[in-house]
Amino acid sequence: MDRLVSEVILMRAVDFGESDRIVHLLSPEVGRLTVIAKGARRSIKRFPGTLDLFNHLRVAVNRRRPGSMAMLEQATLLEPFLGLRVQSARYALASYLLELMDRMAPEGAARPDAQRLFGFVLSALRTLEGATPNARLRVLLELRAFDALGLRPELARCVRCGERPQGRVAFHVADGGVICGAHAGERSEGTLPVHVGTLKVLQQGLEYDYSRLGRLAFGPQALAEARQLLFRFQRFHVGIELRSERFLDESLGWAGLTPEST
Amino acid sequence: MHSSPAMERLVAALKHLPGIGEKSATRLAYFLLGTSDSLLRELSDAIARLKTDTAVCEVCFNLGDRSPCPICSDPRRDTSMICVVEEPADLASVEQSGAFRGLYHVLGGTLSPIDGMGPEALRIEELVARVAAGGVQEVILATNPNAEGDATAHYIADQLEKTEARLSRIAYGMPLGGDLEYADHVTVGRSLENRRDIR
Ligand SMILES: [Zn+2]
Ligand SMILES: [Zn+2]
Repeated sequence: MDRLVSEVILMRAVDFGESDRIVHLLSPEVGRLTVIAKGARRSIKRFPGTLDLFNHLRVAVNRRRPGSMAMLEQATLLEPFLGLRVQSARYALASYLLELMDRMAPEGAARPDAQRLFGFVLSALRTLEGATPNARLRVLLELRAFDALGLRPELARCVRCGERPQGRVAFHVADGGVICGAHAGERSEGTLPVHVGTLKVLQQGLEYDYSRLGRLAFGPQALAEARQLLFRFQRFHVGIELRSERFLDESLGWAGLTPEST
Repeated sequence: MHSSPAMERLVAALKHLPGIGEKSATRLAYFLLGTSDSLLRELSDAIARLKTDTAVCEVCFNLGDRSPCPICSDPRRDTSMICVVEEPADLASVEQSGAFRGLYHVLGGTLSPIDGMGPEALRIEELVARVAAGGVQEVILATNPNAEGDATAHYIADQLEKTEARLSRIAYGMPLGGDLEYADHVTVGRSLENRRDIR
């Protein structure tokens, strides 16, 4: 496939040399894709108004040059997500999710994986554009992001015995799943105590349609547990510190978590 | 022996420059070795004086040879207006237009969470303090009309919520020499919104 025509989301654009830009795209055809946009900084006619963060575009990319970066030939704006710019919390959360995808989404992904990732990003940006993001929405979208990346925590059944857990329950960070009361005592190291109710809300967060995520109700305790769980899960299974995390914490008015505070 | 300790020292120093790797650094070092003594003296003198002879204005954070900068200390400027820009180069652009006679405020970049640029990395607090000090009737947010520039302008507007001063944003529209056929639909839409009477 020498020439790729695909819709994409623009995740990052970096100036390169005197007149070019290097652009990171997410495509439902191939996953993450890095292209060079020649003359993008100099000429307003070449890619007018299109190479901007969050933009949903249709692009034509030339991948004929072996050993060198794919070249952006054409870009048409489909959806600019202007609403993400007018509210700090939206901007912060959208940036955070895109940074996660930019760093974790695989290049040359298999089509089903690429479609799942692209579908997540497009739905998340559309959800955010009409929302006033809070810590709950952040937790839920982060969970959906992990899921899209193929890292879905097991929230419904004990990872030891497969039973539906009840009562006193723990989440095993390294195993990425819940442990029922009968197995929780074995090894408490690397586990977090968590209420069944918290797991239930998170499970709904994985299953519900994006339009309903904002209406999922959970109390302060469930939120604190969910946040701790996802933070530890991220650090272990994704293992990166995101540059946008600090601004996101500030925008949502919530002090940041550190591994020590857990 | 193809090199000398002095050459190696220069190559090691040049490699700290953005976009310069071992190869380019070595090429530059060989070029400098073969060039005239006067150019070498000029270069080393210019580098040595760069920081001592450049001042960041304590009021607007423009670059100049002194602080406050010539604009901030010019009594003919309109002190009731502040034009907020991203970088000194943007200030120079507005200045060249001759369309603005007020004062400036240079942010030092834009909010770009993905690059780790949060509000604390910009001179936003200083702007809020300037406006709170009084005498400012209008703040023009002239950050670039892209995602980062727009988000920064809205963030600043939130921070200036309590002020009475008028907050404005530079207009979006078709660039001079532009072509409707090739413009994106957002630019075309905004150009229509921001249209002007012709008679
Ligand atoms: Zn069990
Ligand atoms: Zn000044």
